Formats: sequence, C-alpha cells, structure tokens
Amino acid sequence: MRILLVEDDPLVSDAIVRGLATAGYVVDAVTDAESVQSRLDTTHYDLAIVDLGLPGEDGFTLVRRLRRDGSSLPLLIVTARDGLDDRVNALDLGADDYLVKPFALPELAARCRALIRRATAATANEMTVGQLRIDLAGRRAMDNAGRVLELTRREWSILECLAHHSGRVVSKERLIQAIVSWDEEISGNAIEVHVSRLRAKLGESATVRGIRGLGYRLDDA
Amino acid sequence: MATGSKLRRAPSIRGRLVVYLLLPLVLLLVASIWADHKTFVTPLYDAFDRALSHTAVAIAAHLERGKDGQLYLEKPPFGPRHPPGNEPPPPDDVFGNHDKSPERFVARNGPAVWRRLFPGARDSFLYRVSLPDGRTLIGDEGLPIAQGNNAVGDFSFSDATYRQLVLRIASYRTQVDGQAVIVSVGETVNRRSHAVRRLDTVIGISDGIQLLLVLGLCLFGITVALRPINRLRERIAERQPQSLQPLPLEPVPSEVRPLVQSLNTLLTTVRDAAQAQQHFLTNAAHQLRTPLTGLKAQLEVLASETHDEAQQERIARLYGSVDRLAHTASQLLALARAEPSTHSPGDFTDVQLEALIGTVADAMLDRTIARDIDLGAECAPAHVRGVHWLLHELLINLVDNAIRHTPDGGRITLRCGMHGHAPYLEVEDSGPGIPPAERERVRERFYSTAGKEGQSSGLGLAIVEEIARGHQARFEILDALEGTGARMRVEFRPAAAKE
Repeated sequence: MRILLVEDDPLVSDAIVRGLATAGYVVDAVTDAESVQSRLDTTHYDLAIVDLGLPGEDGFTLVRRLRRDGSSLPLLIVTARDGLDDRVNALDLGADDYLVKPFALPELAARCRALIRRATAATANEMTVGQLRIDLAGRRAMDNAGRVLELTRREWSILECLAHHSGRVVSKERLIQAIVSWDEEISGNAIEVHVSRLRAKLGESATVRGIRGLGYRLDDA
Repeated sequence: MATGSKLRRAPSIRGRLVVYLLLPLVLLLVASIWADHKTFVTPLYDAFDRALSHTAVAIAAHLERGKDGQLYLEKPPFGPRHPPGNEPPPPDDVFGNHDKSPERFVARNGPAVWRRLFPGARDSFLYRVSLPDGRTLIGDEGLPIAQGNNAVGDFSFSDATYRQLVLRIASYRTQVDGQAVIVSVGETVNRRSHAVRRLDTVIGISDGIQLLLVLGLCLFGITVALRPINRLRERIAERQPQSLQPLPLEPVPSEVRPLVQSLNTLLTTVRDAAQAQQHFLTNAAHQLRTPLTGLKAQLEVLASETHDEAQQERIARLYGSVDRLAHTASQLLALARAEPSTHSPGDFTDVQLEALIGTVADAMLDRTIARDIDLGAECAPAHVRGVHWLLHELLINLVDNAIRHTPDGGRITLRCGMHGHAPYLEVEDSGPGIPPAERERVRERFYSTAGKEGQSSGLGLAIVEEIARGHQARFEILDALEGTGARMRVEFRPAAAKE
C-alpha cells in the first residue's frame, strides 16, 4: 500500500512517514501541492494525505483540482483548523475524511486503513477486517483459518453493512433497513438475535461490538 | 433584565414632546383668555358708563325750580323705591304706591332712595342731586360723587363702595335755571359683572376647545413623526442578536441618520474585530497545532523504535506532557472560538441532537473501550437551532470530562430529548460526582481537578458554559439518576423560539 503525503512541516512529515511505515505503508512525502501531479503521473497511490495549510496552493484548491480532473484517489485531509466550515468545505470538495491536528499516529493509521479498505471494497470487491476476509462479489466471508463461514442471508447482510462502515457505529435502524425489504417488518430484538449469532460465527477473526443505545461496530478482534 | 427596566424608566421622546408642548400650551391658553378679557372689558364698561351717564342726564332734565326757589325733581323717571335684595315684582304704578305727588316724593327726601333703572333689571340704582358746595338737594345724601374737572356739561366716573354695595358712580355737572348742580347716579355692578363673567366663560370654552384641538393635532403629529423611529426600532429588534450587518440608511429620517451611521460604524468595527480575531485564532491554531502534532508523532515513533525500557518510560512521560499541552492549546482555541461574538447568524443551523450524540460517541468510543467504560446513549428525537461545530465541541467536552472522572469499567450515558418544549443534552457518568458546593467553581476557567487520566486543562466545563451561553441554553450540574456520579445537563430554549 502506497500513500502520498502532502505536508509542509518537516517534523510532522517525517513522523508520519516513519509511523505509517511501521503500520505497513510506504509513504512518499512532498511539501507542496505543485509537485503532487508529477508524482501521481508516475506512481500509483492508494491514498493521499493532504494538509490544508500548505504554502502556495492550499489543500482546498488541490482537492478541488484533483476531483475536477477525475481522480478517484482516496483523500484524507489533515488540518490545524477545527471549524465546521472547513470540514464541510473539504468534504464537499471531494475529500473522503478529515482529521484535526494534533492527532495520534495510531488514529491516523486507523483512518488510512479504513479509507483504503473502503476504496478496495469498491474496486476489488474484497475487504479485510482484522483477520476476516470478506468477498463482497461472492457474498461470502472467510475466517482467520481460511474457512468459509456459514451465514444466513440476514447475517450476511448485517456483516456486509457493518463491513462497509467498519470502525464506525452503525445504528440498529440502519441494520434493519439493510436486511429487510420494504414489505417486511422486524424488531430491534430480532436484530440482536441475528447479531449474536453472527458474533458467534465470526469467532476470533473479528468482533461485533454492541454499543448501548447507539448500535453496533465491527472491530478487529 | 436590569438594563430593560432602566431603559423603561428613562423619559421617552414622545413623553418629553408632550410635556414640553402641553405646559406652554396651557400657559398660552391662560394668557389668551387674559388678553381677550382685557380687550373686551374696556369697551363693555364704556358702554355701561355711557348708559349710566344718560340716566344722569335724564334726571337733570327732570329738575325744575319750585316756587320757593328750591330745585325739585318734577317727575321721577324711575320705578318704585325698594331696598336691594328685597324687591317685590315691579308695580303698575311707576311712581310708587305711597308717593302720589312729585312734591311729596321730593319733599320726603329720604336717606335711601332705591330705584330700579329698568323693570326686571338686576341692578339697584341710587341718585343724588347736590350743589357744588356739597349740599344735597334731592336723593341719597351719602352717595359719593365722582371727582372730575368741574366744567359744566362734564361727566366723571368712579368706583365706590357704599352701604356694602359696590357701585359705579357717574356724576354730571350741569346748570338748572342758572343753578350749578351735580347729578350723581350710582348703579350696582351686577349686570356688568354678569356680562363680563359670561363673556369670560365663552372665551374660556372656545380657547379651551382650541387648545384641545391643537393638542390633539400635536399628539397626532408626534405619533406620525416618530413612526420612522419606531420602524427602526422594530427593524433592530427583528435582527438576530449575533447579526453584525449594518442597518439600512434608506428609510431613516435625517435626524436619526447620524445615530444609525454611528451604530453602523460600531457594528463594522465589531465585525472587523471579530473577523480579525477569527483570523488570528486560525493562524494561532495552525502555528500551535502543527509543531505539537510533529512533536507527538515523533515521540510515538521514537517510543516504537527504542527497546530500552527506561528510555521508553521517559518518552511516555514526555508524550504525556506534550499530549496535555496539545489538549490545553486545543481547549484554549476552542474557548476563544466559542466566544458568542465571533459567530454570525449564518452559522446557526438546525442541529439534530441524536445525530450529534452518534458522531461524538463514535469519536470517543476508542477511548472508552480502552478503559473498559460502557459508553451508551438514550436518545429521543430533538433538534436545536445552533452552531453545529460548537455543539459538537460542547458535547465532546462533556464526554471528555466524564471519561476523565469515570473509573475503569464504569458507565457513561449520553441523553437527548425534549423536556416539555425545551430540547436538552445530558451526559451522566458513574464517577465520584461533584459536591454541590463545588458545582459553580468547576465551571470557572482553569479550575482543574485531578481525574483518572491525569490533570485536566480545567477548561472543558468553561467551554461548555461559554457555548451554552452563546446558544442561550442553561448548563447545570446535577446528581446522576443512578449511582453517585455527575449528570451534566444543557437545556436549550423552547423550540418555538427561533434564536
């Protein structure tokens, strides 16, 4: 996995390059927006991390330019500003996620992993959560030992929905919408039953965490 | 509100106008009645005096010399004699019941000879015919004589009081058969006072009506003239409290225009200051956060690269300090940005509290999972009009505070819903709680308590307080519904209110 980092502060840049390297990513760092295009022309990247406060062309302009040129490269914005306007702007312009400085490296790594996972799911129809491999096209999941899990239609739908939002809390209502067609009715209790069965089948490979009053989250085991 | 009542007690322009117009108008009324009175009373009195002098002439015309050389009143021209205040109806006999002959009547020459000047008239009438040496020939010998130059054919007038009667006296100097006489006639002033009173009344009423009309017109004029000011006031009242937009100058009367212009200058200054502050904060945020991010990230890398345990421990301590510094810097920036003056009405949107709780819980979940804290929510649909990122910041700080004071394995519950018509947000923890005596102090800036995750910046609840204030919401610290913990509650204004 290759990540392009656009960050002008050498201390931050250096730490991100090293930190993500330990998480298994290869990171190329540039210090300004102008040199991004030549990098993208020559190398394939799975993700770009863009600082908003760049000298010269700023992060907003870069994001807008990339999206206008039709790039589907996942973009993670890093900024020192925390106003909502910036967040809305960046996401409206086509950034995929947003992280406010100062952040911890594990947090950055987790965001990168989630973004890359989502992008891969869209292109390769495959996802990995923890040790669980999810084949979206084949509608099947394999555990850490490579065994295909025996899942009912509803359990699969729940897993698929949680996987698409892995690392995020998915509300019960959303899961209900994901597993039933419009003429069916299903209670919150029924969801709990399906989730506990799914949880048992996932075993050690990944875990479905129940969050009181909020929903469920698919986590690495 | 104290300022409101103070404003209400201050005199209004309308009230001042009314007072300053009413007082002079009343004075003007009194003055005009007085002037009118003065104008009519002299001609009126002249007319009465002339009538009185005619009576004197008529008496003189009836004087003739008797056989003894004395002057006699040949034929009294007047009605019967009666004391004033005790008059019977006018008799048929003009000369009286008991005095048939003029001789006897004149010879009687009584001290008080009251006569009526006209039948039905209100005034009593006395007369006296005297010689220039003061001897009385006929009539009331005590009646005063009006002084004047002693030319024959001359009239003189004076006011006098005689027998408790206020009299107007006319004296006529003439000659009867070569004998110089003074014919004096006295008349009580009932009729003329009555006439003056009636005229005064009529003038008073008509001037009063005039005054009322003028006053009404003034009030109407004041109301109409003040209408643009009222419209301006309404326009200001309609504005969002945070609005710093200049007021339009167009429909404002020229007298108020300088006021509006000054206000606009002030608004512009405040807006510029707010923008400058925002700009400063953005720069400060960048300049503070970027090196802190670098420092933190470098320490993390360093910790992962070193295998010396003692060094790792030192790095961890260093990291803890840098983390706290970063947290404090963030809190300070958040506090500055939470200042109500720095956001514009455009920042206010409809914020769904359920969704907000979802986002914040999502962001805080890793921290609570790491400490085995059960973070959950109990949500009912509720939405408020607010600045989204500020409410996000508010809830983040409440949850952050709860995490700091909740023991490992504890429980934190986020709640939202409607209390009557008022939306609320609540964060309840299972920590030790806050004693009532400390509940006010913990909202103060830099009032710091040692929590589970080390020293806090002491700014979290101050930020909550500040943001709640900016949303006209009430921030309360209560006891937990279950257990010993604290329950932080932010109750917003009822949904019907738009601000």
